[in-house]
Amino acid sequence: MIQESHELDIGEVLLHHTADAWTVNFEPLFTIHLPRWPDLHIGTWTVNLSPTKHVFFMIVAALLVFLTMKLAGRQLERQRAGTRAPRGYANAIEAFVLFVRNEIAIANIGHDGAKFAPLIMALFFFILYSNLLGLVPWGSTPTGNLAVTGALAILVFFVIEIAGFLKLGPGGYMRTIFPKMPGVSGVGGAVLTIAMAPIEILGKLVKPFALAVRLFGNMTAGHFVILSLFGIIFLFGDLAVWNWGIGIITAALVVGIMLLELIVAFLQAYVFALLSAVFIGLMQHEH
Amino acid sequence: MRGDMLTLLLLAEEAGAPASPFEVNFGIFFWTWLVFITLFFVLKRYAWPAIVRATEERERSIREHLAKAEQANTKAERLAEENQQLLAEARTSAQQLIGEAKQAADKERVLAVERTKKEQDALLERARRDIAAERDKAIVQLRAEAVDLSLAAASKLIEERLSDDADRRLVEGYLKTLEARRSNRGGTRH
Repeated sequence: MIQESHELDIGEVLLHHTADAWTVNFEPLFTIHLPRWPDLHIGTWTVNLSPTKHVFFMIVAALLVFLTMKLAGRQLERQRAGTRAPRGYANAIEAFVLFVRNEIAIANIGHDGAKFAPLIMALFFFILYSNLLGLVPWGSTPTGNLAVTGALAILVFFVIEIAGFLKLGPGGYMRTIFPKMPGVSGVGGAVLTIAMAPIEILGKLVKPFALAVRLFGNMTAGHFVILSLFGIIFLFGDLAVWNWGIGIITAALVVGIMLLELIVAFLQAYVFALLSAVFIGLMQHEH
Repeated sequence: MRGDMLTLLLLAEEAGAPASPFEVNFGIFFWTWLVFITLFFVLKRYAWPAIVRATEERERSIREHLAKAEQANTKAERLAEENQQLLAEARTSAQQLIGEAKQAADKERVLAVERTKKEQDALLERARRDIAAERDKAIVQLRAEAVDLSLAAASKLIEERLSDDADRRLVEGYLKTLEARRSNRGGTRH
């Protein structure tokens, strides 16, 4: 028995569990084997567009977000038509959506924040649902995938830069790469301005990179912690006296971490949406 | 048994499947964009309007009300200014009217005084003329009386002798000299 448990690598299980997969596992009920498509070769670059477990749960998250909002919207319409006081589920969702719209999007982007609010709202709820799916039995967190968070961050990057370009114009946009140095004029100023360009460009790229890594890291780390705690059961479960005790303590710890993860799921969705709004706002009001 | 549970976890493993969350599958980028952008447009078209509309309408109506209040305010200010101006104009025109009236009244009074004076003068003149005429008449009467009296007295004195025309002419001539003397004296006295 001891021999066998040592052969099993907890670390590998942990990594495997948080990794993407080609099947969606609802064991012992059923397993969905997703279709495998051949690799695409674009020049020297190879990409495989086959759907994976994270794609599956991403679509689930998107559908859930849509259903939540559609249902709430319909109830709200009905309540308004009947001139009844808003209440219950629809009112809670309305308050939540308006919080994201007013306190995250408009408060941080400024006077034309309403234009970007749908994007920030979609980002927030999509990330929130993706985060929460990881806490559901058989679920998996799409935002625990670097490619997903990276794709979202790149999207935000393009929104920041293109919206900034449209708002500031070509000259104003170039100023965000070649900033005017206050208090330095002439040749010294020009040299400094050109010297700042790589730093400014790096700054533009670091923002989405940080967004992607922060979300991915937070989501993955939580699962690591939970799985590591469960691993304790397998590592020390053979101790004759303590095995029940270890089980209880570990379960209690996991419950605590799960609750923490619940907070983190909301917090990271908030942080991603908030920082996206802040970056868009910074770019919009760059002068 | 523990082994069974772990193998259950590992059951899903297939050859070539990602072994850790740190492997980046670029295909997922496209899936993410597809899913998220679709979600974004679907939500924007079908879900957000119903939830956000009430708030947006409220915001718009507040904005409109503010603009309207601003307009009303400027209008009220303009009206107040106009009123002030009108009031000032009315005051000056009233003052002008009063001034004109006063002037007219003054002129009228002066004219009236003048006219009265003229009438008075005319009356006085007429009275004086009347008095003069009356006096002249009285003088003529008095003279006739005096002639008669003198004649009566003289006839008393010299009885019948003094009754012909030659005598009478004599007395009248005398009285004329008397009158001339008196009017000479009277000129200084008058």
